[in-house]
Amino acid sequence: MPTVTVLEQSCKGVEDCGICTFVCPASLFSASEKMNTAGYVPPQILNQEKCTGCRNCMIYCPDFSIVVQKNADGSNSVEEKEEDE
Amino acid sequence: MSEIMHPLRMKYTREHVKKTTNCPGCGNGIIVQAILRAIDELGMDMDEFAFVSGIGCSAWIPSPLFNADTLHTTHGRPIAFATGVKLGKPELNVVVASGDGDLAAIGGNHLIHAARRNIGITVILVNNGIYAMTGGQTAPTTPRGVNTTTNPYGTLESVFDISSLVLAAGAPFVARWTTYHPRQITSSLKKAFTSRGFSFIEIISQCPVQYGKVTKSGSALDLLKHYKKDSIKIDKARTMDPESLKGKIVVGEFVNEQKPELSAEWTELKARVMEGRS
Amino acid sequence: MSSKTTGNVMAGTHFLMGNIACAEGAIAAGCNFAAGYPITPATEIINHLAKKLPLHGGIFLQTEDEISAISSIVGASWSGCKVLTATSGPGISLMQENIGFAVATETPLVIIDVQRLGPSTGVPSIGLAGDIVQVARGSHGDYQIIALCPDGPQEMFDLTVRAFNLSEKYRVPVFLMAEGFIGHMRERVVIPDASELSLVARTIQRGAGGPMQRQDFLDAAVAPMPVFGNGLKSHVTSSCHDEHGMRNLSDPEIMHKFITKPIEKIMRHRDDIIQVEKNYKDCDIVLVAYGSVSRSAKAAAELARADGLKVGIFRFITCWPFPGEEIREMAESVKHMIVLENNCGQLFPYIKAEAAHACRVDFIGPQTLGQIHDPEYVLSRLKEMVR
Repeated sequence: MPTVTVLEQSCKGVEDCGICTFVCPASLFSASEKMNTAGYVPPQILNQEKCTGCRNCMIYCPDFSIVVQKNADGSNSVEEKEEDE
Repeated sequence: MSEIMHPLRMKYTREHVKKTTNCPGCGNGIIVQAILRAIDELGMDMDEFAFVSGIGCSAWIPSPLFNADTLHTTHGRPIAFATGVKLGKPELNVVVASGDGDLAAIGGNHLIHAARRNIGITVILVNNGIYAMTGGQTAPTTPRGVNTTTNPYGTLESVFDISSLVLAAGAPFVARWTTYHPRQITSSLKKAFTSRGFSFIEIISQCPVQYGKVTKSGSALDLLKHYKKDSIKIDKARTMDPESLKGKIVVGEFVNEQKPELSAEWTELKARVMEGRS
Repeated sequence: MSSKTTGNVMAGTHFLMGNIACAEGAIAAGCNFAAGYPITPATEIINHLAKKLPLHGGIFLQTEDEISAISSIVGASWSGCKVLTATSGPGISLMQENIGFAVATETPLVIIDVQRLGPSTGVPSIGLAGDIVQVARGSHGDYQIIALCPDGPQEMFDLTVRAFNLSEKYRVPVFLMAEGFIGHMRERVVIPDASELSLVARTIQRGAGGPMQRQDFLDAAVAPMPVFGNGLKSHVTSSCHDEHGMRNLSDPEIMHKFITKPIEKIMRHRDDIIQVEKNYKDCDIVLVAYGSVSRSAKAAAELARADGLKVGIFRFITCWPFPGEEIREMAESVKHMIVLENNCGQLFPYIKAEAAHACRVDFIGPQTLGQIHDPEYVLSRLKEMVR
């Protein structure tokens, strides 16, 4: 299973940004109940076992705040694919 | 547990630059990663690059963030500066990243002439449709009819189709994507970084704070949803009539061809005339 | 006429137009990137460079406008080239913003200004020293500049070489303030052998580590230049920055240094930079001039001495930084300074500010603007003044 880590301190918040909540195909991201030192509310990830390893959240996050580490064997659960149209 | 860091940030950005200047939800950060991923996937080194930018939010994409030679120049002029950098040291991969106001309004003349000259630089034009840093003024890319700070009763002017403009000026590589297409941006950038000519990539990017609020176009997610829904690949767009293309964003690689590149031409010319002299 | 070309130097004695002598000076100094846009009366310089630079391995880029010309030479300078642009007043006006950029980023480059009659499009073919103050004060903000004033084709060569040397030594833009009359004047020009020319190349940053471990900027003793393409990861911005080049818009201490260090860098070395020609020992009156007018001043002084008047001359070879100490020293040894300028009196207030406490200071423009000062006219005005 891929590991998804939210680097909460650099996150600019689900309310104003929230791009991770939009691009995750499994809709795993939602607002957490925490606030970082900059005053933003980072996301929480529920049901991480459903992560497909597509890395959308990592690639779309504008603030380097999400890191997806692949399976132990280095593979993704699913192949990355280009979003079209 | 050892601290997890973003691999691109760790490998390619200046260690002492602790935070990016972008507003929450800004498309610039998506483009930052798309550029760095292209460099990473090509196995290139930041020391092969010089990044040049102008004035405006997207001029901050490389400077001061990227751990490379960076030249943060005056408003509108980065392409002119970059032309000198490239001709002075043709082995450098010279990349301009700046906005639509910077490159297509105040710097529009340099843009078309660089395309005409085919100077071998890569220009990443971030098109957010507005002057964001100064607070929501009309750009030559602001859609007709929306209200802005300087057109509070609605804009009256038509927009520049910048990619078509650069294409008409002779650029051998022109692509347009939106921030909904980060993988495609990376793919086009990899072609740009390894091709010899003037490479132009326009990226339609969301500005939730100025464009979104001032023109009442919604949040970062609203804009990304619009990019997702209304982007049409160029191949498909070519089969559609102008009426059905209204409100759509035509994306893709518009041209990718070989033409004589200026710095290489200069190297050949110098060799030729110096040989004739001796 | 004899001539031999060794290396880049067209050594020998020639009969040359000032603009051509200037272009040959640039080539002799090792210029290998020039950019420009055609403009009367400077065009011969770029024409000649376009022909000659590639023969010596250099590039001349004709840009879409003067803004692009100054921008591209700044870029090429950061790539390690010795760079030049040549233009006239309207071109300088367009370049001003990025001249400030070169000042703020400590970029060595040479700008040849073959001045013409203004304001605005004015008269392209008539030389007037109309840009003398705009080159020092025309870009926004506080700064110092170096500007040299040739008095003929020989100095178009010599001072072009010197302009390159000063720009490389101090990491600054340097102006050569020719007038159309000087640019188009033809005279004997002696070009020395390459071995007799002393050329200066900038010191390039070789420090280890990243920019945060080095001082790349804001050193009054001149920081080594972190030229691109050397793995230095240089950070260059014209926004307020610290000695590492890192932008800082919040710390007044850094703002203070950002403005004052580049000024101090020039002023600390003023004795090396400032050159004047003076010949006023035992004189009561001095004619103070620069550029083409200094030739009329010399002729008028000779006429005056023949009439028994004790008239000397003082010529600015460097006009910026302003030779204030030299003017003060002169003011305290003579009774009367008469400033001759080929304009309505641009340096006059600066001269007066340094001299008026100690002697009388007057101004004589040309009898008609657009004409060269007639020495007889200067003499008659001088006599009226001292009557």
